[in-house]
Amino acid sequence: MPYTPPNGPRKWPTYNKKIFAPQLPGEERRPAYVCHMRTNIKYSPFKMWYVASMIRGMSVDEAVKQLSFVNKQGAVHVKEVLLEAQKLAVEKHNVEFKSNLWVAESFATKGLVMKGVRRHAKGRVGLVHYFHTHYFVRLEEGSPPEHFFFETAPKTTKTLLSEWVDEMRQRRIPGSL
Amino acid sequence: MPALNAGIQVRERHTKHWDPKFKKLRKLKVQKVKLPDFREDDNISELTPDQIRSRMKEQGLLPPRSWMERPITISATGSVFEPYIPPEGDGKLSSLTLGGAKQSMEFLSKKSKSMLAVRKIRSFEDNFSPSTFAEEAQDIYIKAHKALAEKDYDTLHQCVTELCFPLMTDDLKMCTTRWQFLKSLEPPRVVHARCTDVINKENIFSQVTVRFHTQQTLAVYDRFGRLLYGSEVVAKDVLEYVVFEKHLANSYGLWRIHEKIIPDWMPVREPGRKTYVQQKPVVETEPVADSAVPATPTEQSAAVA
Repeated sequence: MPYTPPNGPRKWPTYNKKIFAPQLPGEERRPAYVCHMRTNIKYSPFKMWYVASMIRGMSVDEAVKQLSFVNKQGAVHVKEVLLEAQKLAVEKHNVEFKSNLWVAESFATKGLVMKGVRRHAKGRVGLVHYFHTHYFVRLEEGSPPEHFFFETAPKTTKTLLSEWVDEMRQRRIPGSL
Repeated sequence: MPALNAGIQVRERHTKHWDPKFKKLRKLKVQKVKLPDFREDDNISELTPDQIRSRMKEQGLLPPRSWMERPITISATGSVFEPYIPPEGDGKLSSLTLGGAKQSMEFLSKKSKSMLAVRKIRSFEDNFSPSTFAEEAQDIYIKAHKALAEKDYDTLHQCVTELCFPLMTDDLKMCTTRWQFLKSLEPPRVVHARCTDVINKENIFSQVTVRFHTQQTLAVYDRFGRLLYGSEVVAKDVLEYVVFEKHLANSYGLWRIHEKIIPDWMPVREPGRKTYVQQKPVVETEPVADSAVPATPTEQSAAVA
């Protein structure tokens, strides 16, 4: 469990404490998950967004591999958090194989913002923002879904047909009534 | 492969000013802000005492006092004294066979030390009798296990001692337990009783071992509701020797479950449905014997000399 500061995000680690009702014999096995975070990283949340978004829907091994080649300080933090979460999942949350996990959620939010002052000409001052970022990740048991993003999913014949019909119906004769 | 130059500013030919004097001037324009270090506690266990000392000095903290006085209450003993040794094959032999008949004859009356202990208990608890206590013990046993399954820790504290509480609850904190007491195969009976005093003569604790032969069902589910151990429908015969303890000197003392005696001959229980990566055994590499004379004379070298 990461250290939760008195003013930081407190809800995310509590998802790890939720206890689900026992499953019936015929039911599909509920996948295990683990939520993990790192708070107040000295890094810009706006830069962290790119790193966090990149690994969504990847398997843990793939995400760690990809992050190793991202030339950003944020990627170093994200990789560390992923490996910590993976370790937690195996040790605390009854996940059997450490590679059988995928990144179900990954996002970064704004943390502490310290403000500094910078001198300008003619006695003016400028504000300098020192951003910190919180990074959150949820790993879920199982192999990653084939089409995590809606856009990458192949279209079925049914959707293709309805799209074509819509396109045909939206045709207009220019300059007509 | 690690990111080699992550976060390191790369200086190229076109990003560098030819005269570095302005660098210092530009730096002077920015007010220095001391940012909090949120990562400083990450490797707190690796700090040397000197580093801890300098950090505490920096933060203006006083070192902790070397002595600490704390009032403590002893409401339970820390172990089972003179534990009962169950006879081998107990619960397997029918009372109709010779061995079984012998075992069932081994009553409390045979054991003088237990009798003395029962007499001692009676001096505090007037209407204590081993036969009625066995029934009472079974009620406590059922109440404790029901409370454990419902995670009713207030009730559980009334039924189990401080020694037993973590043993019962620690592994089940994030689990769902379904437990059912079906029936008693043999009436519970007191097999052993002992008394001991702690610190002074009047402060007496007593421990009574009760034999239960019962039928129960147990199913343990993990946090996600997946079956980890047992079954809700398969009834199992359970033979247990449960030690109950009471602080006799305390007028509000209760009989509570203290520990369970697990004999050596008991068959190994079915393990939970959980797999682990097997840890590689740590092989301690022996230092290569140096041909030179050792700094401190060992026994061998002394003998040679």
